[in-house]
Order: sequence, then C-alpha cells, then structure tokens
Amino acid sequence: MDRYRVGVDIGGTFTDIVFLDSGGRVHIRKVSSSVEDYAQAIARGLEQVFDETSLAGPDVAEVRHGTTVASNAILENKGALTGLITTRGFRDVLELRNLRMPRLYDLAWEKPAELVERYLRVEVEERINSRGEVVRPLAREAAEAAVDRLVAQGVEAIAVCLLNSFENPAHERLLKEVLAERAPHLVSCISYEVLPEVKEYERTSTTVVNAYVMPTVARYLESLRGELEAASVSAPVMLMQSNGGLTTVADAIRLPCNIIESGPAGGVVGAQALARRVGLPDVITLDMGGTTAKASLVEGGEFTRSLEYSVGGGIMQGSRLLTGSGYLIKVPAIDLAEVGAGGGSIVRVDAGGSMQCGPESAGAVPGPVCYDQGGEDPTITDANVILGYINPSHLVGGELKLNAERGRAVFEERVARPLGLELAHAAYGAHQIAASNMIRAIRSVSSERGRDPRRYAMFAFGGNGPLFAATMAAALHMKRILVPPAPGLFSAFGLLYADVEHHYSRTFRRVLAEADPAEIDRAWRALEDEGRAQLAREGFPAERMRFRRTANLHYKGQIYELNVAAPPPPANGSVDRAWLDRLAEAYGEEHERTYGHRAGPEEPVELVNMVLVAEGLPDAPVVPDTLHLDRPEEEPGGSRSAYFGPEAGWTKTPVVRRSDLAGGAAGPLIVEEYDATCLVPPGARASLDDYGSIVIDL
Amino acid sequence: MAEIQDPIGFELFKNSLFSIADEMALTICRTTYSGVLRDNMDFSTAFADADGKLVAQGLTLPGHLGSIPTALDVVVERFGDDTHPGDVFILNDPFDGGMHLPDIFIFQPIFAGGERIAYAATICHHADVGGRVPGSNASDSTEIYQEGLRIPPLKLYDRGRSNEAIWAFVERNVRIPIQVFGDLRAQLAACKIAERQFLELVEAYGIETSRTYMQEVINYAERLTRAAVAELPDGEVTFEDWIDDDGIELDRPIRLFCRIEKKGDRMMVDWTGTSDQVRGAINNTLSFTKAASYTAIRSVLPQGIPNNEGVFRVIEVTAPSGTIANGVLPAACAARGLTGFRMVDCAFGALAMMLPDRVCAASDGGNTCITIGGYDAERRPFICVDFTAGTWGGRPWADGLQGNSNMFANMASQSAEVMEAEQPVEILAYEFVQDRAGPGKFRGGAPYRRDIRLDEAEAVLQIRSDRKKIRPYGLYGGRPGQPSANVLNPHRNAQALESKVTTTMFRGDVIRHEWAGGGGWGDPLERDPAQVLRDVRNEYVSAGSARDDYGVVVDPATWTVDEAATGALRASLRSGRGAASPPPVAWTDDWTGDGAPGPAAEAAD
Repeated sequence: MDRYRVGVDIGGTFTDIVFLDSGGRVHIRKVSSSVEDYAQAIARGLEQVFDETSLAGPDVAEVRHGTTVASNAILENKGALTGLITTRGFRDVLELRNLRMPRLYDLAWEKPAELVERYLRVEVEERINSRGEVVRPLAREAAEAAVDRLVAQGVEAIAVCLLNSFENPAHERLLKEVLAERAPHLVSCISYEVLPEVKEYERTSTTVVNAYVMPTVARYLESLRGELEAASVSAPVMLMQSNGGLTTVADAIRLPCNIIESGPAGGVVGAQALARRVGLPDVITLDMGGTTAKASLVEGGEFTRSLEYSVGGGIMQGSRLLTGSGYLIKVPAIDLAEVGAGGGSIVRVDAGGSMQCGPESAGAVPGPVCYDQGGEDPTITDANVILGYINPSHLVGGELKLNAERGRAVFEERVARPLGLELAHAAYGAHQIAASNMIRAIRSVSSERGRDPRRYAMFAFGGNGPLFAATMAAALHMKRILVPPAPGLFSAFGLLYADVEHHYSRTFRRVLAEADPAEIDRAWRALEDEGRAQLAREGFPAERMRFRRTANLHYKGQIYELNVAAPPPPANGSVDRAWLDRLAEAYGEEHERTYGHRAGPEEPVELVNMVLVAEGLPDAPVVPDTLHLDRPEEEPGGSRSAYFGPEAGWTKTPVVRRSDLAGGAAGPLIVEEYDATCLVPPGARASLDDYGSIVIDL
Repeated sequence: MAEIQDPIGFELFKNSLFSIADEMALTICRTTYSGVLRDNMDFSTAFADADGKLVAQGLTLPGHLGSIPTALDVVVERFGDDTHPGDVFILNDPFDGGMHLPDIFIFQPIFAGGERIAYAATICHHADVGGRVPGSNASDSTEIYQEGLRIPPLKLYDRGRSNEAIWAFVERNVRIPIQVFGDLRAQLAACKIAERQFLELVEAYGIETSRTYMQEVINYAERLTRAAVAELPDGEVTFEDWIDDDGIELDRPIRLFCRIEKKGDRMMVDWTGTSDQVRGAINNTLSFTKAASYTAIRSVLPQGIPNNEGVFRVIEVTAPSGTIANGVLPAACAARGLTGFRMVDCAFGALAMMLPDRVCAASDGGNTCITIGGYDAERRPFICVDFTAGTWGGRPWADGLQGNSNMFANMASQSAEVMEAEQPVEILAYEFVQDRAGPGKFRGGAPYRRDIRLDEAEAVLQIRSDRKKIRPYGLYGGRPGQPSANVLNPHRNAQALESKVTTTMFRGDVIRHEWAGGGGWGDPLERDPAQVLRDVRNEYVSAGSARDDYGVVVDPATWTVDEAATGALRASLRSGRGAASPPPVAWTDDWTGDGAPGPAAEAAD
C-alpha cells in the first residue's frame, strides 16, 4: 500500500487533519483542539483516521504541520522569562519601540507589555559605528558581568542585540562565546544570527521574540514527537513557516520567529499550487472563518511577501497606516491583510443610524444567536441563515443544530426594526457590509499596491469564504472564483503542496551605480553557501536545490524599500555592471507599477538588503492531479428559498452536492458540504475543474 | 434618529470613500524621500466635496485636522469657476490658507460629467523649503520672510500642463530639491489614485447619488458628534498654562487661555485671553488652533466618528487675530507645532475641569525638534531632522504612557542606525531617565533622552523644545513632571542651553536633549506600593523617590515592600501636609500652593 503524507493545521477551535497518498486518495478529519497541549489533539485525530481507514502509524511517510503555538505563546504572554543585552545607552530600544500607536484620539490606549521587563535589560560598554569600526571595544569581563547578572535573575532565555552588529558582529560573537561558557543551559539568541539587518528596534524585537518563544516551541515539538511515537508514527515532521516554505524541526527550534504565522500560510500555499495547475497565475485568496478574514495576492504563480509584520496586534480594520500594535517581527511572511469579519461578527446599528458589522465577534462561545448557546448579539451567520444561504437546521454534517427562529427574532429586534427595514433586506445589507469590510483587506493587497483586482481570480476557502466570495467578487468586478476541495480544511490541505524554502538576508547598503559588482557578487554567494549547507543537511542533492535572489531597494533618500526579484544572472554566472543596471531598472519598473510613478534616471537606486531564497525541490510532485475524497457527500437537500436583494427577492434555490456541478449548472445554487457552504448567485455559472475545485463564473 | 434613506448603500459608499483617503496616505507613506513623512507621518490626505468641504480624512496626523478645509476654502474662493480638468493647485503660505512653510498643500479637482464633484487633497511636511536655517523649522526667526519660500495659491498644473516656473522657483530656493520633488511627486500620485478610484465609485453610484452620499457622510459625522457631545455635562470651564518663552524674549512666559463651553449638543472653544503674537516663530494660524482644539475634544468623545466637516459643525473654535493662536503678517510660524502641542494640553486641562475622570495630566509638551544641518567637506548639504515626543501624563485610571507618541501627532522615531548610516552623526544614547516623571496615584510617563554627536566639521544646531521652565502640570493631587533640558557636551564642560536655541556645533560636540516628564494624576501616597516597587526594580523611580514622594519603603535585597515602614512613613507624610487639600492643578512641588506660576511667578529651574 501507498504511504501517506499528512497535513495537520491547528486552529484555536479545531485541529484539521488531511491524509493524502500518491494516488490522490484523501481522508479528512476535524477534531476539537486541545488547548493545554496541542499535540494531544493531533494524536487523537490521527488515531481516529487510523480507526476509520485501517491505516496505521507506519503508513505515514511525512507529517506537515502548521501551528499557532508560537503566536499563542506571545498572545497569552506564556513565553520564557527573557533577558536582553544591549549597547550602553540603548537599554530601552525594546520598550520605546518606534513610538507610534495604532489608535488616534484614544486616551485609553495601552502599549503591549514589553516581552523583557526593564530590570532584565542589561547594558554593556561597547560601540561599533555605522561603518562597522570598533569605536569602543567590548571587554570580556563586561560581557561576563552582563551574562552573570541575568543568570542571577533566573532568566530562561537571553537575547543579544548590539548597535550596528549587522555591520560587524565581533562583539555579539564574543557574547555568544561567553554565553556558551557561563550559561550553557540557557536558550540564547544573537541578533546577527537572527536578522543581520539595519534598524535596531526591528532587529531587537525580532531577536527577543525569537528567544521568548524558543523554549515553548521546543517543548511543544518534543511533546509532538512523543505523541506521534505513541501512535507509532515515526515519519519526519516538517513545519510550515510564515514565508510559505517548509522547514525542519531542528531549524524551527533554532529560529522559531520563522514559524509565527505558520497557521494561515498553508491555505495560501495550496491556493497558489492549485491555481497554477489550472493555469491561473494571478489569484487573490480569501480565507474567511468565524472571526477574521484574510486576503493575499498570488501573482505570476508566486505569492507576495511582506518584509515585516506584527504579531498579536489585534485586527486592523483594513488599514496599514496605523502601526504600533503587537510585537514587530522582521522576517519575510506571506503578505496577509486581515480584517475582523467572520461568521461570528456582530451586527449593530450605531448612534449615527448606520449599520455596522464587526470587528466585535461573538466568537465560538457563545457564538451566533442561532447556535442557541447563549449568544445574544445578532451576527453575520444569523443573517446568512435568515437569507436562506445556510442550512437552517444544522451545520458540520449535522453535528451542530441551529435555532433559526431565535436568530430571526433577535435580528428583527436589534437591526431591522431600528433601521425601518424589512428583515430580509436588513440581513442582506449585513451580508453586503461584511463583504465590503473584507473588500478592504483585498484592496490592501491589490489596489494599494497598484494591482487591479479585476485582473485576478478569487480563490475562496475557510468555513465562510465560499459563502461570501460571489458577493465580493461581483463588487470588485472580478470574473472568476475557485473553491477548492475541502474548503473548510484547506489550511491543512494546502500544507501538502509546500516545498522546503529558506530565506537569508543581510543589509548591504550600496548605491548600485557606484557599487563594485564583484563585492556584491561575493556577498550574495556567501548567502547562497549558507542556503546550500542548510539544504544539504536536510538531504537535498545539488540538482534539487534552487536559489533565487531578491533585493530590497529604494531611491537613495527614500525611507521605505520595495522587494524586487533580481534579474537572471549573466551567462558567466557573476554579477557585472550591466546586471546591476538591470536590477536598478527592475526597481524603477516595480516602483511605477506599485505607486504609479518613478524617478528619472538621475536619481540613484540604492541596495539596502540582499535576500537569498533557497528552495529544496521534491523529486516528484507531492500532490497528484486527481483527488478522491473518501468522505461520502451529504444527501442532496432539494431546494430552499433564498434572498438575493430587493430586486431579485426570494428565489427558489436548488441545494446541491459538489459532484452535481460536474456538467455545469446555472445559479442560484447552494452547494452544501461537510465543512462549508458555497453560494452561487443568480446569473452566475458553476462547474468543476479537473482538480475538483468549484469554478464560478460571474 | 436615522436620516439615511438607504443605510446599506450609504455604508458601502462611506467604506469606499475612507479607503480612498487611506490609500492616498499609503501612497505617500511608501514613496516618500523624507523621514519626516514616513516615520513622523507628518502628512495628511483627504477627500472634499465640490465646495471644498472635508468629507473624509485619512488616518494620519491629527495636527492637520482643520487645515485642509481652510486651504481649500482659499482655493475655491480664489479660483472658483476657473477650475478645470487637469488643474492641480499648490500653496504653502500661512497667511493665504497654509499652516507653516514646510507644509505644502496639493489639491486636485475631480470632474465627472463635465462638472466638478470633488477635490483630492494632500498636505506634506517637506524636509526643507529654504530660509535661513536648514529644515526651515527655526524657532528663532522673527518674520516669515526668514523662513523660506512662500508659495501663494497657484496652479501647478493648468489643464494638464505643468507650470515649469513654479518648479524652477522651488528648485532654486530649497536646499535639497531632489527630496522636495520626490515628495511632491508622491503627493501628485496620491491625488491621481484618488481621482481614479473616486470616478469608479461615481460610475457605480451615479453622480447625483455620489453627491448626496458625500453630504450624508458629513451629516452622519455631525449626528454622531452631536449625540456624543449631548452626553457631556453642560457648563463652562477655563484653563490657563504658559509656554516657557518664544526663544527671543527669554524672560517672558506666554499665556495660553482656553475657555470651553458646552451647551446641549454644541461645544465652543474660545482662546480669547491668549498672549499677543510673539516675535519668535511659534505663532499659530487659526487653522492650527482649530486642529489642536478638535484633537482634545475628539479624545473625550467615543471612537469611530469620521473626520470631516460634520465634526467641525459641532465644535466652534475662535481665537482673536493678532494673538499667538491666530497670527497675522509678518508673524513667523515655522515652529508653531510647539504651540499646537501646548494648546492640546491646555484644552485637555480645561476638559479635566469638566470631566475629572476622563482626562490625563500634562504630557511632556509635545515634540522636541532637533535639526542638525550643514555641508560636508565636498559642500554637499546634509540635514538631520529628528522630532519626537513620547510621554503622557498620568490618567485617572492608569499611568501615563511612556515611549509613545503624542495625541496630537502620531509620529515614529527614526532608527539610530539609519540616522548614523545617512547622516554625519552618532547617537550615543536613547533611553529613559530616572525620577523625571511626575509622581501620582497614577504617575506620569517617564521621559527619555537622546544624545547626538556631530561627526562633521561644523553644523548649525537648532532645537525647538519647551517645558523647561513651566513644568507639565499634575492633576488632582498628582505632582508635576520634571522639566526638560538641553545640554551641550554633557560629559565635558557641560553647558546648559535654552529650550529654543540656534547655535553652531563642531566635530565631536554632543547635544543631549531630555524631554520633560509627564504630570502625575492623584495623590502619590495612594499609589499601590506594588507598583512603586516595580518602578524601583525597573529603575524608572529611585528608592529615594519611592520613599520621599510615594512614602514606600522598598527592600532591594528581596525586592519586597516593607509594609510596616511604609504605613508609618505614609502616615507621617500625610500629617506633615496639614489639613489643606491640594489644588486641582499643580505646576510646582508645593502641596498646598495654588500651583499657578503666572507670568510674574519665578520660573522653576
């Protein structure tokens, strides 16, 4: 029998598990998450699949895992007691942050508590200047005293971030040596090894976050290993990183800052892979669950990445202007825009007489009114039930019973009546407004970057994504929607499409027109050597390694940078003058594309950070083209009345299974599945593609 | 209550409109050449109706609230029907719609169906617009003519054709034209983006509905504001405070006087009684005084009210002309930011008299601006501009924030490493200073200091700061914060400088600025001893101050509070004060003094 690859995604409420063999056979399973020790739910879920399928531990060839364990440690303040060593005069970089706050006119704003309290931030007398010259040497005794002081305070982890260390790491290396000698039992992180880049706050924050979650991540991965062994699974575990590539357990333990946004990455990776297979290189993904919706952009078959992000910052209302929330991490991550819009988002009428949806959420508990678990506030899910979009009696294959009457009564009283609207019209309005809130997330990854959403297809997943995709796509004039198989578990499913990938970067400030090509070539090759060594350790032969160069550039004097893919290298493989000119031109083009204007040739382009992406390619495609879901589809439900706005009104709408769409069908249709409901509005057509995705053409 | 005909269509339109304003702001933020724009977010973007009335402002600088309507009014009035597709307007003259010279406004009218239906508006603080001091920010200029290039309301583009004369004048009169041009391009791009997106919206909704909805967005904000104001108690309150001096006449404190009247669903902020305009460059335009007043009042109203004309209809702001709150020619105004920050604190003081449990004590006084500029050995100019503030006063429910920007200007600090890489300076310290925060049941935020060393042969140093003589006030028993300080070469021949100064630095000189500490709120003897212990352990507060100011005895060996000793000490400190209760506002350490220093009082130093 074929061996299986397994994707496991842990969310706050559910743990999703997907089994896949090389023939395309798929088993899926949703189990409640075990918040005390997330690894237990994984083992439980695996055993349930084993029971159902007569598979056993040895049938598992590889486990791929997306986890929120690192971000939870930060959100819940449960990381290690961490100490920080800084340059004299810069003890408070971590707490001063960049001073900005994410709220205007809010006297009640509180900054997130710093991860290292001031008494655990220790200074050493030393200084390296911006050219990397040692201005004041670090005495070994001073380094020892700093380490000893933190050890005496009982810290579990120590982060080190000295000024300008990215130019010259000598002093940080000395501290590393001293740490190994005097505190070998402690976790330690050196900023030069975590993020050798300019900007002391970003580097300090990233290094501290890394140290802070390191013991938690290590413990979790050990526990996972134990649970897997108990289930006789001895297959290797690969972890999803925030950047969309896989890494090993050893690497995740060393640099857990790379797996902070591991959770939502899987879905985007899967979307990119599936869309690429059907010849849609440009898609916008929409992942909508119970409390938030996330959008990202896939362009030319590649997902886009942001250079930094904040973890635990709360949900931005689609705006990236108000930074300063959460904990900043400067590592590449799939660029996700998130808004507080989900099935649980609360609908209300404000003092100005306007209807608002979210960002407040009824969450999983008490949940929407129609769940009948004590929820008092009308939600988006209640609106969807009123509209006939969601099965009024049950969800999740019958496991969750609904009380539609209660939802109607509360929505009538709290929303429709105060606005003087008919119930259905009010519910339809809530659906539209929730969609318009999510459109802000889509705009922030598309039009705010000079990308016209009309040229993209929408790839919708998550429990609620397929329900809203058509409304949003219509408002954005997008023409096509894809809904993948198992949309409600797609974050787990997507893990199976990922490749091994590592990112390396360093600050290397040079004006391109004046730079020495040989020097730049050497620096990039040094990063390549690091990547090659890492991939070799992971067992990749040279022919399955791929290296790509990207660069963060700006016009000299600009503050912000754009990440640009470097042009292909010259024939002899070495960087030359003409190649640097092409790189500068690529920046000008990207600037024009993103912002609508570019500077003249007289303005010099400056390289700020060079980046190397090292990929380990699989020997054969991991996911076959044709998939067979082993879960039996629900019985077809006949039809029900659904409301499509004041003009179309109530319309008799067939309720169908996914497989019923094989020959193509015209909307309105409701596709009910175990893990999600998909809405095909009047006027749209739905069909299935060769990979089992629903294709909706508007 | 609801007056909107189609609440759903309206909400969708409003969402789109505010995204446009934000998207304009992002365009500027991401393409700017200047740290002032990107890190300090010293710019704003907005969307106005055909008459120039503000409909939506991006989430950027509170200090610009109210500035765009004033400038647009001038443009609409001046050009009126002589406004055509392809026109773009520019201005910066404070006496003709502007704020201060570095703030350059760019407006683009938007046409649909042959008629003007809206304006896209941007305002950016440019790093330099010429004048006698690099950065065009000097606080010691005495006439506007010293401050740089004055641009009256003009067409930068006339029916799509660029007015090259304006570009040429700008190029010859600013120190680093490449920066100014880069940032002007960003402003133009933001307006273009607004035009494109708004026209899409008009296409979807139709011209008439779009017009109606724009008015509805204004009415909606007005309704929200009125409803919120109506819930505040009726009455009249006043507050006075003083700016140290204008940098020219050092022995003359400058009075700010604010009267706030609240009646029904209206508010009035009247600055009559504020000092006459001064020679130093800290005179406000009325538009800036409005921005300060709106900022304070919006901070006691609920979140979520859109920024637009509807808010301004409810809050009336007046200031007599010829005062520092409303200067007339030839008033210098480059450094008027200082006065704006101080007016926010003054208006907060008045609101604290009206709403004792809603408002914080005095902040550090707002941004200090440090500019170090000159020429390197090859005569290439450099300008290092750093302005930040970061300390709030104690609040009735919590300590003042520390290391957090001011309510009036949500600005970021620049990275020391980037400053060192780009400018001939080395940053020697950027850290909190102990025992500078005003003690209180909820203490003020701890201030920080920056030490900057010049690594070039010579440069002009210019500092605009305040709260060196008149300390940040404490409220309801809270003690005032410690004053700010400017010190040249703190480690060798330390020389104290005034709060506003222009001088020369030479290679190796170090300038230290220490911000003032935030004022405290409530009696420090009522502070939770565990909080005091934590402050001592973290070295924000010394053991001595814990004992003398808070009556808390800390054992540093075990990091515990000596409960018995603390109880006894607090009792004895209380009895030492006598029966008198403290005044609601305190600028000095005297527990029972009325606290008000007044123009004639001894400056604390």
